[in-house]
Amino acid sequence: MYDPSLGFQQVNDFNPGINPYPDGLFWTLQIPDDSVSVHPGEGGAIYKVSNLQVRDFGDIGSAFNGAPGVPATVSFEVRWSGVEQRLHITDRAAGFAGQFVRGGAQMSWSAVSGDYSYQSDALETSSSDFAETGTERNGVFFPRS
Amino acid sequence: MRQDRLLRALRNPRKRLPVSRRRFIRTSLGTLAAGAVVGPQLFRPQMAYAAGTDPIPVPGSPNLAPFHVWAPIFVDSIDAEPATITNFNGVAGIAYLNGNVTRTNLKTGAVDVLPFLDADMRFMQGVYRGADGKPRQGTFGFV
Repeated sequence: MYDPSLGFQQVNDFNPGINPYPDGLFWTLQIPDDSVSVHPGEGGAIYKVSNLQVRDFGDIGSAFNGAPGVPATVSFEVRWSGVEQRLHITDRAAGFAGQFVRGGAQMSWSAVSGDYSYQSDALETSSSDFAETGTERNGVFFPRS
Repeated sequence: MRQDRLLRALRNPRKRLPVSRRRFIRTSLGTLAAGAVVGPQLFRPQMAYAAGTDPIPVPGSPNLAPFHVWAPIFVDSIDAEPATITNFNGVAGIAYLNGNVTRTNLKTGAVDVLPFLDADMRFMQGVYRGADGKPRQGTFGFV
């Protein structure tokens, strides 16, 4: 979140941290299998989680610098839809390949952090600058030869 | 589109532009890179994972080292990998999302409306091999 009254200073950054810092899993944690429903060929997906325990780092600088943050709870629903572009990516340098659909996405969310609660506007009022779903494989599942 | 707004801001620097999370990533990484030169001991690699069942992070973008992640579009190519775990075969999604949120002070009841910009949300679901090399089924969220 950004506060217009403070010159659009960032005032919240919710994420689960980097574990272990700095070269561990980046803002990623295991979630229940039923949190995700995907139709990759159609560009549709739902990613929905309730009461996820994360940290509020305040701003991304603190999140990057390994600050402890404060406990926070977030719930969200993200919906991908539409097909603007289909593409097959093979990146041998990065070691991954995938078939993706680019389209749009929208999100509603809520959170509690410290003395504040947050409730987004309805999902339909949100927008995306970039949205992509698909299938991919990397690491030992990416044939390099 | 955010890119259009960035281009407009570059052409008209007097017009104030909200600093999005991804835009700030680029600034912060410049700071981190400078810190790495001055004090490389701050970023000594420590490839220690909590348990054998845990997923292993992707090698990640050289632009984002020491972190193990790719950031499509602003830091990396639009075709950069969305997943954050390696040895992974499954479905994945990524989105940069914008909207408004109402913040309520639970002590005073004061309410205001703030924008959220380019919130980076991702998921991964499928087979992965953790540090112990065994295949497992799992679902992971990036918040």
